[in-house]
Amino acid sequence: MALSCNHIFFQYPGASTEVFQGLSFSVKQPGFNALFGPSGVGKTSLAKIIVGEITGYSGKVNADGMTRLLYSYNLERLPDWSSVGRHLDKITPDSKEEHKEALVEVFGMTDYMGLRFSQLSLGQQNRINLMRYLLQDFELLIMDESLANVDEMTRESIILKIKAMFPDRYFLYISHNFVEVSKFCREIVVVRGPLKQPQTLSLTGIDLKSHQSVDRDRLEQTMLEIMNAA
Amino acid sequence: MKKIWTGFLFVILLTAAQFLPAGLLAAEGGKEQLTYRLKWLFNVSVMGDLYAGEMGFFEGANLDVTVKEGGPERDAIRELELGYADFGVASADQVIRALSKGSPVVVLAQLFQVNPLQWIYRPDRVEITQVKDLKAKTVGVTFGGNDETIMRTLLASQGLSEGDVRIYSVRYDYTPFYRRKADLWPVYVNSQGPIISWKLKRAGERVAFFDPSAHGVKFVANSVVTSVRMVREHPDTVKRFMQALLQGWEAAFKPENSKAALEVLSKYDRDTPRPILEKQLAMTRKLVKPADSVDIGTFDREAWQQTERIMLEQQQIKAPVGVDKVLIQF
Amino acid sequence: MLPRRIYQFLIIFLLGIAVLFAVKYLFGLSDYVIPSPADLRDTLAAVYKHYGADVASTLSVAIIGQVVSIFLALMVGILGRQTTWFGSFIKVAAYNVQAYPIVAIAPIIFILFGDGFFSRLLIAAMICYFPILLSVLGIMSEPVKEIEHFYRVTGRMRWQLEVKIRAFENLNKLTTVISGSATLAMAGTIVAEFIAANAGIGYSIRIALYQSDLSKILVALFLIGITLAVYQGLLEAAGRMIGKGVTVTR
Repeated sequence: MALSCNHIFFQYPGASTEVFQGLSFSVKQPGFNALFGPSGVGKTSLAKIIVGEITGYSGKVNADGMTRLLYSYNLERLPDWSSVGRHLDKITPDSKEEHKEALVEVFGMTDYMGLRFSQLSLGQQNRINLMRYLLQDFELLIMDESLANVDEMTRESIILKIKAMFPDRYFLYISHNFVEVSKFCREIVVVRGPLKQPQTLSLTGIDLKSHQSVDRDRLEQTMLEIMNAA
Repeated sequence: MKKIWTGFLFVILLTAAQFLPAGLLAAEGGKEQLTYRLKWLFNVSVMGDLYAGEMGFFEGANLDVTVKEGGPERDAIRELELGYADFGVASADQVIRALSKGSPVVVLAQLFQVNPLQWIYRPDRVEITQVKDLKAKTVGVTFGGNDETIMRTLLASQGLSEGDVRIYSVRYDYTPFYRRKADLWPVYVNSQGPIISWKLKRAGERVAFFDPSAHGVKFVANSVVTSVRMVREHPDTVKRFMQALLQGWEAAFKPENSKAALEVLSKYDRDTPRPILEKQLAMTRKLVKPADSVDIGTFDREAWQQTERIMLEQQQIKAPVGVDKVLIQF
Repeated sequence: MLPRRIYQFLIIFLLGIAVLFAVKYLFGLSDYVIPSPADLRDTLAAVYKHYGADVASTLSVAIIGQVVSIFLALMVGILGRQTTWFGSFIKVAAYNVQAYPIVAIAPIIFILFGDGFFSRLLIAAMICYFPILLSVLGIMSEPVKEIEHFYRVTGRMRWQLEVKIRAFENLNKLTTVISGSATLAMAGTIVAEFIAANAGIGYSIRIALYQSDLSKILVALFLIGITLAVYQGLLEAAGRMIGKGVTVTR
């Protein structure tokens, strides 16, 4: 099982410039990986190409052995006609009941399950949205700013829990947070503007796990590498 | 801002001007301009009016008359009062109603000696020779229309009540009669009569007409009206208009002019086929000029009084209006 | 809100009457052209019961017609929301039917269904369904991407859920259009009655027209206006209650 993109060329219909000109990268191992890059560089487009929500590109996406690729993003909403708890119940397969309870707790949502989506704060909304994706069957989950507006402490414990709970899955975490990406991700694919070649650079992050402490020098080093690459 | 006010004032003046007598507002080439509002659309019932206009009778009287079509929402008497028209055509019941509400209207001529509103029936199915034959028949009636008034009067005249006949509410089309849901159906015998007869004849059916006036109910139909002010202030105009108009009517129904009359009619009523127009014209002649000795426009005063009496009995007016007083022969 | 609608209507109506009377007395017009206040009062006293019943009959047809047209619009809107051949076919058919003037279609309807209740209902529904349809079509063919995405990518999307999401997200728009269409349903019913029915206030107006009786027509207009104001006020209140119900139970 590995994910790779080879020579992706893509241009939005009607747009004058190409988003990707021969973009290639690969992520060889499951785990918590990142898609990083400045705004507007095409991270979301790339994510949608990977899961198949965008067609009409040339090149090849290889997701060997993966059948369920999901893409989630931070602006998603749950319908407001019932509580988020009921929504979660409805979309959780029986086999994942335990998962659900664990996630509700780690995500700090226990007290809010009786509320409707519109009554939650932005951070809570993003958490509940991410949770429902985690409760699906998937081999790859792309998290596009999925933890935006969540405070740093909760975010870190969520990421650590995800890594512990799903060690054999592929994650692609899209975020603008240098520290977070450097600290928690294993492979960091830096997407650069279309004029730069190659269009991506792959770096190695610290891939921090629970109960590990971070080496400050290494962290700074990684952050610098990312900054230079972008 | 000033411009807006000027514009506003202009609109007000323009609106006010609408209320001035339409015809006397301007004169062109010395001819008096008049507006003549008919009761109904251009068809055979306004034959004489069209003929007078087309054949130059008005011009001969030094008048420039605009003949305007009527319609269900038009009311010539209201237009006279509002100054949109100088002369008009109204039915007797309209005149009597207007009088009862204090409208200053006068009648100058009675165009139809016999009311064209009659009932068509199939003589092979029902036999109607007297009012009593209506008993147990299904009779089409337009609620609120003149035919309702006439039918009520007919029934009452023979001591019949409404329960003795089956009333069928009439709409705008004849389908219920075609489909034999009603035995008798109200029609304008001169305009609709020939069309329906022709259609049923093609289906191999005979038709006949039940004429209320033959059974003593004379409800006056179309008449020429104008305002009291017009008669008082411009008697000469009224005289010339009426002379020209009635000459036009007489000429239109002279046998030697029938071809010319048909030409005029087919110009205004394009949808009706020529052979039907011919039949309509012949039928109309019987209603406006039942005999050579009768001048078109003659008042049947007794019929007018009967019409008023009927309306009084049926409480369409609250008190007598003395319609006789406003029938003025010029 | 409801009382406000009523007194707003009264102001408009009284203003209209005042203008009529002003014209009447300014130009010295007879009671035949514009009825006198006494005339109007007598007519009101004489016909209000009869006309009130007529308006009630018309309103009941209008309400049923509105319900029918809401269903119709929802059905067509739901079928027509798809960008398939059938979807566009449904849309074209719905638009075409609306393009024909109702007075031209009415005779066909009356020949097929007679001049009873059903014809009035059908015409009322036909007149008021189009604005509802337009908004339903607009709502139903506009994806709510940020909600639908999850259900789509996890294979959970059914057409019922899609309709539910889109309707729920546009509840305000829908209730506004529905309460607005009440006027059209009423107007449609009156037109139908005027053309060819033998019941309802439209029919009474036609008779009053035959008799050139403007005071009866003014009374009829008054009753129609006040009834419509009440009905619409109630619809709006109901719409607000639905909206509130949603937020309260949230």
